[in-house]
Amino acid sequence: MIAFKYTKTDGAEYISHLDLLRHIDRTLRRAKIEVKYSQGFHKHPRIFMGNPLALGVRSVSEYCTVDTDFCGDFLPLFNEHSPGGIKCLAAKVTQTNPNFAESIKACRYEAEGIAPFDVHEIQSCASIVITDLRGRTVDIRPRICSVEWQGEKLLFTLYCGEKNLRPDLFCSYLSQKYGGEAAYILKTESFGTMF
Amino acid sequence: MGSLRKLLLKCEKPSRYTGGEYGAPEPVWGAGGFNFCMCFPDLYEVGMSNLGIKIVAGSFEQRGMCADFCFAPARDFGEGLKELNVPLYSLALKAPLKDFDMLGFSLQYELSYTNVLYMLDLAGIPLTREERRGGNYPLIAAGGPCTANPEPLADFFDIFFIGDGESVDADVAQIFVECGGANDDFYERIAALDGVYVPALAEGPVSAAEKEGFKVKRALISDLDGAIFPTRIAVPNCESVHDRAVLEVMRGCYRGCRFCQAGFTYRPVRKRSVKTLTAQACALIDGTGFGEVSLNSLSTGDYGRLPELIASLKGALPPEITLALPSLRVDSFEGQFAQDARKTSLTFAPEAGTQRLRDVINKDITEEEILRAAQRAFDAGYSAVKLYFMIGLPTETDDDLAGICHICEKIRAIYAEVKRPKALRISVSAATFVPKPFTPFQWERQIGEDEVRHKQDYLIKHLPRGVKFSWSAYYPSLLEAVLARGDRTLGKVILSAYKKGCTFDGWDNLFCESGWREAFDERGISPHLFVRERREDEVLPWDFIDMMIDKKFLLSERRRAYDGKVTGSCLTGCHACGMQKSCPAARGEYDSI
Repeated sequence: MIAFKYTKTDGAEYISHLDLLRHIDRTLRRAKIEVKYSQGFHKHPRIFMGNPLALGVRSVSEYCTVDTDFCGDFLPLFNEHSPGGIKCLAAKVTQTNPNFAESIKACRYEAEGIAPFDVHEIQSCASIVITDLRGRTVDIRPRICSVEWQGEKLLFTLYCGEKNLRPDLFCSYLSQKYGGEAAYILKTESFGTMF
Repeated sequence: MGSLRKLLLKCEKPSRYTGGEYGAPEPVWGAGGFNFCMCFPDLYEVGMSNLGIKIVAGSFEQRGMCADFCFAPARDFGEGLKELNVPLYSLALKAPLKDFDMLGFSLQYELSYTNVLYMLDLAGIPLTREERRGGNYPLIAAGGPCTANPEPLADFFDIFFIGDGESVDADVAQIFVECGGANDDFYERIAALDGVYVPALAEGPVSAAEKEGFKVKRALISDLDGAIFPTRIAVPNCESVHDRAVLEVMRGCYRGCRFCQAGFTYRPVRKRSVKTLTAQACALIDGTGFGEVSLNSLSTGDYGRLPELIASLKGALPPEITLALPSLRVDSFEGQFAQDARKTSLTFAPEAGTQRLRDVINKDITEEEILRAAQRAFDAGYSAVKLYFMIGLPTETDDDLAGICHICEKIRAIYAEVKRPKALRISVSAATFVPKPFTPFQWERQIGEDEVRHKQDYLIKHLPRGVKFSWSAYYPSLLEAVLARGDRTLGKVILSAYKKGCTFDGWDNLFCESGWREAFDERGISPHLFVRERREDEVLPWDFIDMMIDKKFLLSERRRAYDGKVTGSCLTGCHACGMQKSCPAARGEYDSI
């Protein structure tokens, strides 16, 4: 198996998760990196993606695992055949599936354009209740790890998986409360028990 | 793209509008002194599946010219562009459409006509030729199957391309460059070319022009094997309707089904060789990474060397690549193909329920053949069949509708002969017959609303239980017939309909019947005028187009239809349709490639 880290930038942030899977499958076929297929009735390539990224959020920290016996130089070959914005940053051969969808516990993002506010206000809140995209009310406070300013940029870390919080949803909460508007949200790092 | 970020996030499938597809051609603005934008009046995922537009754009590229694409944005994005005052832009270069030298619209179906106006409007280009006169606007051109009768759109276009688009489209661009623009000299020179119709040169009712011997001959590519074929094509950002590599195995069809426009306007049959197709398939898969290759043509089963082609493709392509064979006729279906694709459903198009009516339409397949094909499919593991029929064919009676029900019953009986693991699913779809120009049925009327309802009700009532039945709505079929058979007076109606908000007419969920009804009323034009039976001595709006098919041949085919006589395919001998001089089959060369 090969586990790799890749980007979703330069227009690729508008590609949906399902289409992204198709693009990775096709990239590998163009690169002639043979992917193993599942053995069921409906055979599908054994490509394991991390959690879906919200549409429009850019990332330099996406993860994916491919079941293959390929042992050549993966990174340049992948990048030669991948669409713009979907570029491999690092690749590693692994014996077991790191299962990124499960093993990534939190991600760090950065965003510009939100009006300045005191981050302690968020940290000291016991709960922050918002209405999510499906109209349900949720307390997002336990889903926020940390928030800090770095100059004009807001850096924030949110949990993934069970306690998942979409960065665009978090930003729209902040804009609603403090004004401004988040532009160019970028996922910069993923944390967990990956490798 | 930055300024559109908010809009992109708000609308459905934003990757339709961002460009940057893997493998997309990289046009250079101003290259070759001509900027061409290939426009498709439907959504990105529909247009990206179309092979024709890639061939045409490729023919401009081949001459070193700039060729970009543009698709109709969905309503949410279109409205957003209007609000932001951003004119419609091309996919790769993001150049405003009005900065191009030529916009070439691909007209694949009549119900996309209002989308042409929608795109021009979003581009900030006046819709009619009259309003554009003297202004600095791109040439607005159209090509594709619908230009067989260009008259309903004559008010909007500067140039129509009739027939094969591989070379004449770019020839016109070359002349544009030589003439230094769209001046009188330019129009005079292009009007002399085969395949070019300049509607401004035929102002007034065309029946008058026709009397003066005004004729426009279609363009014809005789060597398909050597014709341009783009093997480096863009991989769509989001899933397209046919998400696979497409080969054009043949152009044209031997069969001559009397209702089928493509069967006549794409004559003669021209083929690509096994060697060329294999090389093209390999290049396509290498370049795109698609997992499937589709062997397209009007009737792929009639490609004489199909087994050889399949063997060659299987030998040359990676093992996981599947082959898709659409448009296989019932009589050419072979169980062995079936097992290749992991599909459970098979589609047949008997078109009519009884042998009598199939003879009328020259669909020379027998019920026995349909049943045998179904049997083979079931034995190969298929458990679902889709059957396509038409209602409202000339001479149809309730007996023919009963025939549709009988076929379903017999198919069910065959399935039940052996114990099979899955329950059988049969779906029947009945479209309303649309008499089209350049077919032996071009003089026929289209059945009226009451008859359509009666026939649909009959099938709903009499089809065996459990058969899934779907049918086409009355009004869109009427509109399709009107737009296919109309004349220049329809331009005003199309314009009114667009102004009333009609776009995406081919989409059931977006079709606005009241808009069209009001548009006809407002212009005082009855749609029924265009779907009546035509007299045989009448000058038809499309008569001035020389499709190279003899009108006398079409008439004799019409007579044979009423006599219930099958003419059969060109493979059983030449029937002298008028194409003999350009037709390999007429010389007995069925297997020339």
